Amino acid sequence: MTDCDAVVIGSGPGGATTAEVLTAAGWSVVMLEKGRNHLIDTAAPYEFRRHFTNDEIAQTRRFLLGPDPMLEPRVYRDTVGEVNNLPSTVGGGGVHADAKLPRFREEDFALRSARGAIDGALVEDWPFGYDELEPHYAAVEKSLGVAGEATNPFAAPRRDPFPMPPGDDMPFALVSGAAASRLGLHPYRAPTGVNSVDYDGRPPCVDCGYCGGYGCPIHAKGDPISALQRSLQTGRLDLRSDAYVTEIVRDGSGKKATGVRYLDLTEYPDPAVVEVTARVVVVAGGAFETPRLLLRNGLGGDNVGRYLTYHYQTFTVGIFDVDTGGERGRSVTHLHDDLMIDTPELRKVAADAGLAWVRGGTTEHGAGQHPISEALNYGRGEHHLPSMQDSALRRRLWAFTMQGEDLPQATNRVELDSSVRDAWGFPAGRVTYVPHQHELVASAYAAELHERVMKDAGATAAFSATSPRGDEPPESRHVMGTARMGTDPRVSVVSPDQHLWDVDNVYVCDSSVFVTSAGYNPTLTLAALAHRAATKLVS
Amino acid sequence: MLAAGNLGNLAGLWNSDERNAVAAALDDLVPGASELGAVDYVEGLLTAFTYDPPRIWAGPSGWLELGPWEEHAWRERIAAWREVYDRVTRREHAPGDGRVLFAHACEATYGDPVYGGNHDQGGWQRINFPAPMFPPHD
Repeated sequence: MTDCDAVVIGSGPGGATTAEVLTAAGWSVVMLEKGRNHLIDTAAPYEFRRHFTNDEIAQTRRFLLGPDPMLEPRVYRDTVGEVNNLPSTVGGGGVHADAKLPRFREEDFALRSARGAIDGALVEDWPFGYDELEPHYAAVEKSLGVAGEATNPFAAPRRDPFPMPPGDDMPFALVSGAAASRLGLHPYRAPTGVNSVDYDGRPPCVDCGYCGGYGCPIHAKGDPISALQRSLQTGRLDLRSDAYVTEIVRDGSGKKATGVRYLDLTEYPDPAVVEVTARVVVVAGGAFETPRLLLRNGLGGDNVGRYLTYHYQTFTVGIFDVDTGGERGRSVTHLHDDLMIDTPELRKVAADAGLAWVRGGTTEHGAGQHPISEALNYGRGEHHLPSMQDSALRRRLWAFTMQGEDLPQATNRVELDSSVRDAWGFPAGRVTYVPHQHELVASAYAAELHERVMKDAGATAAFSATSPRGDEPPESRHVMGTARMGTDPRVSVVSPDQHLWDVDNVYVCDSSVFVTSAGYNPTLTLAALAHRAATKLVS
Repeated sequence: MLAAGNLGNLAGLWNSDERNAVAAALDDLVPGASELGAVDYVEGLLTAFTYDPPRIWAGPSGWLELGPWEEHAWRERIAAWREVYDRVTRREHAPGDGRVLFAHACEATYGDPVYGGNHDQGGWQRINFPAPMFPPHD
């Protein structure tokens, strides 16, 4: 007899989706979230909490959404502290995201077959194709609440319309979109997990302008709040925040998990160790924390932490003589995917660089920063106020952000640091990452193209930058691939059903399992994968 | 004078000479910061734990509770910043102090007035930044 059928580690879109499927099928679930709960009451009637405001200080400067890097440092080269942290809070990365939720395309699941190998990277097909995942995409679009329209000419086929029509356009996205069209690109309204109408008991977005990086004050965003609420309403979900899982407990054979142990972080300075027994353990801590937990427990084999991918981001900034109006609206309302497509021009770019092929990524049309973030970019002293008033990086800025496909390399990895430890004495995660030449070539091409688009849109100046650059940690919060899915245990960590090869009642339901990074925001795909894995589990 | 909704009733960390030293240091980095309440902002931050809940995160209807580990981290962080400002009040300087002061000057000038700076939203007004639709409240 176990305490529950399944224990789910992490409450972000992957964990929440898993819990929703399991509880709907009658399973009892204990969900353990390391961070605090600012999202939803865990007692009936499970009302939404109101902790979030348009507060740049709390949410971008004071770690309201966690993790606090003083408690949970990460390591990247000389940096010890914040390294592409995703929120550590109930709702996980869904809370801070501005919720662009595109599906991957057919080719993204069969890149090796479609495009071929690339030296220095392990490009593989996923174990299944888009067709298998399509119904799960549809299910999570309904669960998270996605607004959009089927106007992207490159999108994979879909059987159902979007659950909601698109929301309001960012006005300047229409300007950049028109310029992109003039240069032969195909911008479209981004599928977003932001309500455009009343949906699921949550109101439509009112375009407050605090979307990316912020929790939504009115819960118009499709962070997994509704999935969590529905799971709680079954009476079969026990959601515990402040619960830091330290151990996946196994039986004497080591081949079967019997549950987990966690630290109860509501207690200080000596948190109690609590054990939860379960038939199944689901790890959904995200592609940084999941491998860290597996490595600490000696689970998953030699590939755990390897094939780490981000999106190699190329920022093209246009400075305009007019206000771009980015202070209100939903951060990003338009995308174009042209650089994901196999074209003669990109083939030539690849050939000139000696590569088999090149893919960029989806490109976001977006606004600038909030004022504190802007201010920190300017110099100190007498030039500071004139720079803020001129506001080249906020009021007069418009930006393209290409989420460039990042090829999987075995040497790019998350591992345990030998000296830095978190506040509870466990080794911090260390990132080792160097982009492949492919990313650099794609980025350079995109930068030149997007600078031309910006100038066509009326920018007086346009320039580009990338992340990562130099020794700075990657800014991308799209972290993937550290517990790779595959059919060959020698080069993967989880099976096509997403259980560990070495302990088959431990499942991984987050972006760790991605085989390739594609060039699309990962949240919808990781949620669809979690939906698929959980559906198989209960059936 | 503090604007309505600002911290008010500050713990009085510094005497007037020390406040002047802090104001000068902040104004060197962001001119006009002290006029908009930057010293009040810093004083509010450094005395955050004299209030219950601590004045670290403003919420929609009051200050949000910190978890015990978050409180631990913030007490340590504030203790380190107090050392920085102790040096400032003595007109001393150590490597890295400027980065802390600049960050605080920017937060004070362009952050929400509930934290003690940006008096009467003057920091936002001088850069034409629109007031938020969902501000935090004291």
